[in-house]
Amino acid sequence: MEVPIVRLVLENSVMSRPDWSLAADGTFTPGIHLVSGDVGSGKSTLALLMAGLAAPRRGAVIREGIGPAMLSFQFPEFHVTGLSVADECRSWGLEPGPVLVSAGLDLSMDRPALSLSRGELKRLHLACLLSREYDLLLLDEPFSSLDCPGKEWAAREIGKRSRGITVVFTHEQCIFPHTDHIWEIQEGALVDCGGMPGALHAWEHAPALIRRLVMDGTVPDDLTQDAIMEAACRTRE
Amino acid sequence: MQDPRIRILAACLLSAAAFISLIGAVAAVAWWLLFTPRLRCIRHRMAVFAAWALFCVVSLVIYLSGGDGISYLVRMTAILLIGTWLYADSVQGDFPVLGTWLLGPKTGFELGMTAGMAMQSADGLGDDFARVRLASAQKQVPWGIRSAISVGRVLVCDALVRADEMAELLAVRGYRRGGTCCPRFRTPVWDIAAGVCAGAVILVAVIPVSEFFILYR
Repeated sequence: MEVPIVRLVLENSVMSRPDWSLAADGTFTPGIHLVSGDVGSGKSTLALLMAGLAAPRRGAVIREGIGPAMLSFQFPEFHVTGLSVADECRSWGLEPGPVLVSAGLDLSMDRPALSLSRGELKRLHLACLLSREYDLLLLDEPFSSLDCPGKEWAAREIGKRSRGITVVFTHEQCIFPHTDHIWEIQEGALVDCGGMPGALHAWEHAPALIRRLVMDGTVPDDLTQDAIMEAACRTRE
Repeated sequence: MQDPRIRILAACLLSAAAFISLIGAVAAVAWWLLFTPRLRCIRHRMAVFAAWALFCVVSLVIYLSGGDGISYLVRMTAILLIGTWLYADSVQGDFPVLGTWLLGPKTGFELGMTAGMAMQSADGLGDDFARVRLASAQKQVPWGIRSAISVGRVLVCDALVRADEMAELLAVRGYRRGGTCCPRFRTPVWDIAAGVCAGAVILVAVIPVSEFFILYR
């Protein structure tokens, strides 16, 4: 049986505004991709482009074998369509009970969704999103508004995704999900740093700890906390 | 227009003129054609068009129920055009400066700052609206009255949360009351001419036209 090819190709795509532009060229295949870049570098615009919700000024975005796709915006309230917590879960086609358990939230089902704190809403939103299957899942700043335990939970849940293309756009510097491939936005261009762990050598936006580990020759296999801890504790020869 | 005092006074006079009479509304539109960049100054064109479409529906209802729907439409269109010009021509910092000049560094500054923050919030609403619609479309929620209510709820709650956060920020930074502001205005001759003409428009609206034409009487 022939396995369908799932990939998203950015073919010399250019997005621009009068005072800003971003050039993107590369192929995203199934796995978890991390796109890092400074605030204002164009991560959200790139996410819109990849989701097909914005058109490039030049070039093309080619989607092959991609069925259901979803872009999660940085602010979770933009996605709220249900009045209560239970309605909101159902608006994603999910039963509220298991979603709340997976989000680690102890909330009344009848509570208005928009009365939750942004952190709670973000957890609820991510739990709904990650309970569904997508061929292309684009997460714009999934760790924003979350406290440390929340970020660790989100990283674990994102890392569990085993099918489709998952792209995490973030400027987070401490907690990351399991990552297969790293990209970064440098001086108005999307740069392919490569697959893990080799990508860590080319990653300009790498957190200080990872840069130090790479300099010391103890390169982590992954970006998860466990992998970084393992590398930091690794005995050098 | 560079002087916010004349800009806001002119907008108030023109809106009042348009509201008072049909002649005033026509004169206000004439003023808009003469003193503004006209259609080029309209930001968020879709929102303006939606508001105008709503006025058309209301005027049709008034017309069908025996009222003067056309007069209503012309007057509301004039007010809409003046409002869009005022919104597009405002720059950040106009309101605190104007408020302080008008009512002093306590009440005036606070009112001006509140108005400035409201304008800032209005600026972001268009982008938020676009994002919420995209998010709803991704969830395959059909666009209709129900989803419009949901979008409205999100936007209103978001605006309230931001206002709350801004209030907390001001309190954390030690803000208690009033502020220091040194209003300075640039008043080109063109602004003065526009202000005088706005005054003439309100006169046209208030005084019957026949008063201007002695021969006609």
